Amino acid sequence: MAARTTDATTSAPAGSRSRVWLWTAGTGVALLVLVTIHMVAHHFVVERMGCLRTYQDVLDYVGNPVMFVIELVFLVVVTIHAMLGLRSVLFDFGLSDHAKRLTDRGLTVLGVVTVAYGFVLIGVLASRA
Amino acid sequence: MNARRGGGSGIDEIRKAREAPGPVPRKGAGPVAWFDIRHRGLGQFAFSLNRITGLGLVFYLYLHLAVLSMLFLGQEAWDDFLGLAATTAFLLLDVLLIFGLLAHGLNGLRLALIGSGRGIDHQKALYRSCQVIGTILLLGAALHILGSE
Repeated sequence: MAARTTDATTSAPAGSRSRVWLWTAGTGVALLVLVTIHMVAHHFVVERMGCLRTYQDVLDYVGNPVMFVIELVFLVVVTIHAMLGLRSVLFDFGLSDHAKRLTDRGLTVLGVVTVAYGFVLIGVLASRA
Repeated sequence: MNARRGGGSGIDEIRKAREAPGPVPRKGAGPVAWFDIRHRGLGQFAFSLNRITGLGLVFYLYLHLAVLSMLFLGQEAWDDFLGLAATTAFLLLDVLLIFGLLAHGLNGLRLALIGSGRGIDHQKALYRSCQVIGTILLLGAALHILGSE
């Protein structure tokens, strides 16, 4: 509800607002599953002090093809959700249409850079496993 | 807007606003209003909490990527960091992170349900259920993390 009402004052067409809401809600629901997997796999199956993984543990984890794919999907979904959330927050400042377009472009670039950096990080670690 | 204060008329207003053509009035006057929960209902409080935890989680996402970048430097750098990360102060921050994840995730699920037209008449019950489930999960997670110290 909040996501809809917040975006509802923008001058964006209703279809666009609805699409943004659907993506935010869809990625949010997917994240409930992905975050649970990520947190349990990383912190709740490790018995060491503070439930933290050692360097070798991390390499073994990302070296597993299933976990490798899950982490990549998690990164993409969390980044989309985060960028859409930031967009809603920034639009709350009552931006002009021009500023909104710039915000959209800026967040798209930030999202792509974030995903690219994460892919490199996960890929390099998996290659060391 | 009475919808913020809950009650039957509030739900009617939400329904009316949903069906009306054109923009729906927003809940607050901008980010400053998130922190002003005076004379506001549960919905506004949940909205503010979602925004604030959301911003915190975006900050954490980039902090997490920065910390994980230490893995590029090899085993020694990472194991040095683990010495710091296993201190009680850091583990308490982990518990704070889990609070943010639970508050944002469960409230977000509630918003997704209501936004898709489900449970509009039971918003408060949904919110209270999320609080109870979140509190139980948070306590379990905190005991697990701090207990492993």
